[in-house]
Amino acid sequence: MDYIVKTRPAKIDPLFPEINIDPGDVFDFPDDSVELPAIIGKSLPRKDGQEKVTGRTKFGADHNIPGQLYAAVLHSTEAHAVIRKIDTSEAKKIKGVRAVLTGEDCKVRFGHMLVDQPVLAQEKVRYWGEPVAAVAADTLHLAKLAVRKIKVDYEPLPVVETVEDALRADTLVHENWSDYQLLGGCAPVPGTNIVDEFVLVHGDVEKGFREADVVVENELFCSMIQHAPLETHAAIAIADHDNCHIISPAQSPFMIRKIIANAFGYRLDRVRVTCTDIGGAFGCKVEARLEPLCVALARRTKRPVKLVFERHEEFAAALARAGVKFRIKTGATKEGKLTAQQIYIYWDTGAYATFGPRVNYNAGFASNGPYYIPNSFVDGFCLVSNKSLGTAYRGFGITEVAFAHETQMDALANKLGIDPLEFRLKNALRNGQESVAGEVMQDVGISECLEKAAEAVGWYDGPLQWRTAEGKLRGKGIACFIKLTGTPSTTSVMLRMNEDGTVTLLSGSREMGQGVETVLPQLASSVLGIDVERIIMSPVDTAFTPYDKTTTSSRSTFHGGLAVMDAARDMVRQLKALMARHWDCPVEEITYDKGVIRCLFDPEASVDINTSFFTRYLKEEPPIIAVGRYGTKDIFSPPDPDTHQSDRPTIMWMMGAQAAEVEVDPDTGRTKIIRIGAAHDVGRAINPDNCRQQIQGAVLMGVGNALLEEMIYVNGVLVNANMVDYKIPTSMDADFETMVDLVECPHNTGPYGVKGIGEPGMAPTAPAIANAISRACGHQFKSIPVKAEHVLFRE
Amino acid sequence: MDWRDVTVYVNGDEYTKTIPVQMTLAEFLRDELFLTGTKIGCNEGECGACTVILDGVAVNSCLVLAVHADGKNVLTIEGVSEGELHPLQQAFLDAGAVQCGFCTPGMIMTAKALLDRDPAPSREVIRKEIEGNLCRCTGYNRIIDAVEKAALMLQKR
Ligand code: FES
Ligand code: FES
Repeated sequence: MDYIVKTRPAKIDPLFPEINIDPGDVFDFPDDSVELPAIIGKSLPRKDGQEKVTGRTKFGADHNIPGQLYAAVLHSTEAHAVIRKIDTSEAKKIKGVRAVLTGEDCKVRFGHMLVDQPVLAQEKVRYWGEPVAAVAADTLHLAKLAVRKIKVDYEPLPVVETVEDALRADTLVHENWSDYQLLGGCAPVPGTNIVDEFVLVHGDVEKGFREADVVVENELFCSMIQHAPLETHAAIAIADHDNCHIISPAQSPFMIRKIIANAFGYRLDRVRVTCTDIGGAFGCKVEARLEPLCVALARRTKRPVKLVFERHEEFAAALARAGVKFRIKTGATKEGKLTAQQIYIYWDTGAYATFGPRVNYNAGFASNGPYYIPNSFVDGFCLVSNKSLGTAYRGFGITEVAFAHETQMDALANKLGIDPLEFRLKNALRNGQESVAGEVMQDVGISECLEKAAEAVGWYDGPLQWRTAEGKLRGKGIACFIKLTGTPSTTSVMLRMNEDGTVTLLSGSREMGQGVETVLPQLASSVLGIDVERIIMSPVDTAFTPYDKTTTSSRSTFHGGLAVMDAARDMVRQLKALMARHWDCPVEEITYDKGVIRCLFDPEASVDINTSFFTRYLKEEPPIIAVGRYGTKDIFSPPDPDTHQSDRPTIMWMMGAQAAEVEVDPDTGRTKIIRIGAAHDVGRAINPDNCRQQIQGAVLMGVGNALLEEMIYVNGVLVNANMVDYKIPTSMDADFETMVDLVECPHNTGPYGVKGIGEPGMAPTAPAIANAISRACGHQFKSIPVKAEHVLFRE
Repeated sequence: MDWRDVTVYVNGDEYTKTIPVQMTLAEFLRDELFLTGTKIGCNEGECGACTVILDGVAVNSCLVLAVHADGKNVLTIEGVSEGELHPLQQAFLDAGAVQCGFCTPGMIMTAKALLDRDPAPSREVIRKEIEGNLCRCTGYNRIIDAVEKAALMLQKR
């Protein structure tokens, strides 16, 4: 395939004129004439930094409870098999072993959409690594010793290893979906391996393809990969039949609380989840993983039980990003106008549902990219197989669908002889246009992102494909994405003023490196005028932290931020009332400006709440406690179940683009990244350096996804379950520059216009790199990662 | 199980303990001395999160038996600063080289051992030196910036 673009465009000529919306209709906030508080847009250093560089931060495994037992797990050595017999007698004989549990002893299942996952395998195992038995003992050494003494007799079953196997349904991973409690969010199809289906219909694709002058069709594939946070899963549980207390690095403690309460039959308020610091999560600590095992052992032994996954267990039995196959067909006119796109998506989500259906849903909405396409049809299948569990992974399927639509955009641009950037700009969504979900779009900044990303790698400075003097193949590629945030969704926060005038912020938004512990105080400070140094976030514990749905979906600054500002405004009201009482004047005469409270008609009456002088007014007064809330139920328009058309499927769309320059060594097949340009519409950067950190880190994760990472299954066995054989990028893979552009196209509701950035940084990286490699090699690669062997042995 | 008496000097303090012979130095530090700043990311020498300085040399403490440290000096992240932050710690904060922070103690120990023996390393040397310390969050380049910054700060002293 010839990727060389012969004529370079002098200037971009969009086919679609911008439709101007009266700003009064759409943008009620932020008003650009209003000056932003100085704390907004300030790159403060992270508040949790000091603890982290001194080694004082306590992650999951750093916690211990007096009297705790240590747990170890026996994992299945079969991918799919009936358990004939488990012999635990030798294990039980070991002195110091307090409990040995198998599925026979613990018939509990858990899940948050579908309650399908057994704490310990029941009657059969469904993936290599599935927990089959668990031991609690006085020492970790004894627990591991006991695990090795357990003998299991398996009767192997045929393995469902690919989406083709799953679709054929000769073998069912789950014989009977109706055996499980269905909590919602998915609809398993009886007699199949389909746990959920997502269909989006917009316009008429057949008509769209008839209008097209060129049509390209591709079958594309993304491998299953691991989150691989440096911290493995860990948990401690203290539990009896009435109460349950969990200590773990949970990403979404309220979700874990609900899952545990439902699984073990606790009343919700009797389950307490105390969060430790998180050593990286990226989606894998949103699921209940070790918590149910610890609870089962703690109930049995009446002792606290601690369990920490070893790295090989993390690979075998933690969580993953589902592999996925696409069949995608896209049409365009010869002028380069997209007319139709049809996408079949097959997620290989592994043995149990987990968050798989949600990935299918979010990715389904995003699968057409940030383009104006009048006719679209998407049919997404979430399929179970005998593999590790695919779940949320920094973006809920966004990288994968971006790989699909961005491969198509390059293929079409190439066929039409149009520059790939120009082709994208011609079709990029604009304000006022209808998306494939049927929503009239607002606050869209994708064109600017595309231009800035391209500029950063010198898109117009020379050819997009060339050979260096040393004979290396160079290529440039570009990719963009669109992503929704989970809607409807809800959160609440509390601001407590302490006796010394400092403020404690209670929020369930979890710090996992993304900087929420710094950004939320910045937002509180922006309203309160209290020095941000004097606002600190409390640890998170469901026993006292106000409800927050989850820390996922790049939602925390947006949702948490609005709730924090709501609470801060309430706190200002309370502070005004406090001073009105002290000064004996009507509250209407009190003003509040950047933390200075004044009485309009008394020049003497003035106090700055940042001073210690102020604290005298707090003495013996009813405490200042403010609550803030935010939810998106009222703006959400539930999508039609058959077509997923909706006026407002999400409160916030995120978009961005990245461009990559790569160098491929034709002799070794190795790809080296030369530079990456990343331009993301963050709406408003509250802490710009923090946004850049998120993007730069995410880009390297994307490089791993593009070039290195894949979970390799052979006959259902994961053969690279360690960090030597499963490579994540090292410092040697990071020897390139990522130039970040923060585009600010403010959201009309988000705090000061904020949109999310936690996940987006990774979304377009692998697709941009794949396009660059394809261009460098003059060969279209149809799967990621693109490894050296794929380059060397391309047909 | 075989037990052995060991005396290890950790961050300048002397500790004498009776420990099982198969106990690793990482376990000794974390479970016996409650110095949990040393992290375990893999327990098999692949990630560098457990890096400490043993008699001046950066080692993966998950690969060293505690009995091997008998009579030796160990420096962990807890011993890097007294009172005010060490220039490396400050530089990690200033450069934005910390996100989740799980790799940070190991990174700082590897960097410290490097700067102790080469006060002005090039970027390439730093990059190579931290190759064995994995980080999933930052993308590494800010960590390299931080080590460069710290080297300059230390030289000015
Ligand atoms: S824990 Fe020692 S190298 Fe990973
Ligand atoms: S900061 Fe999270 S692993 Fe390095």
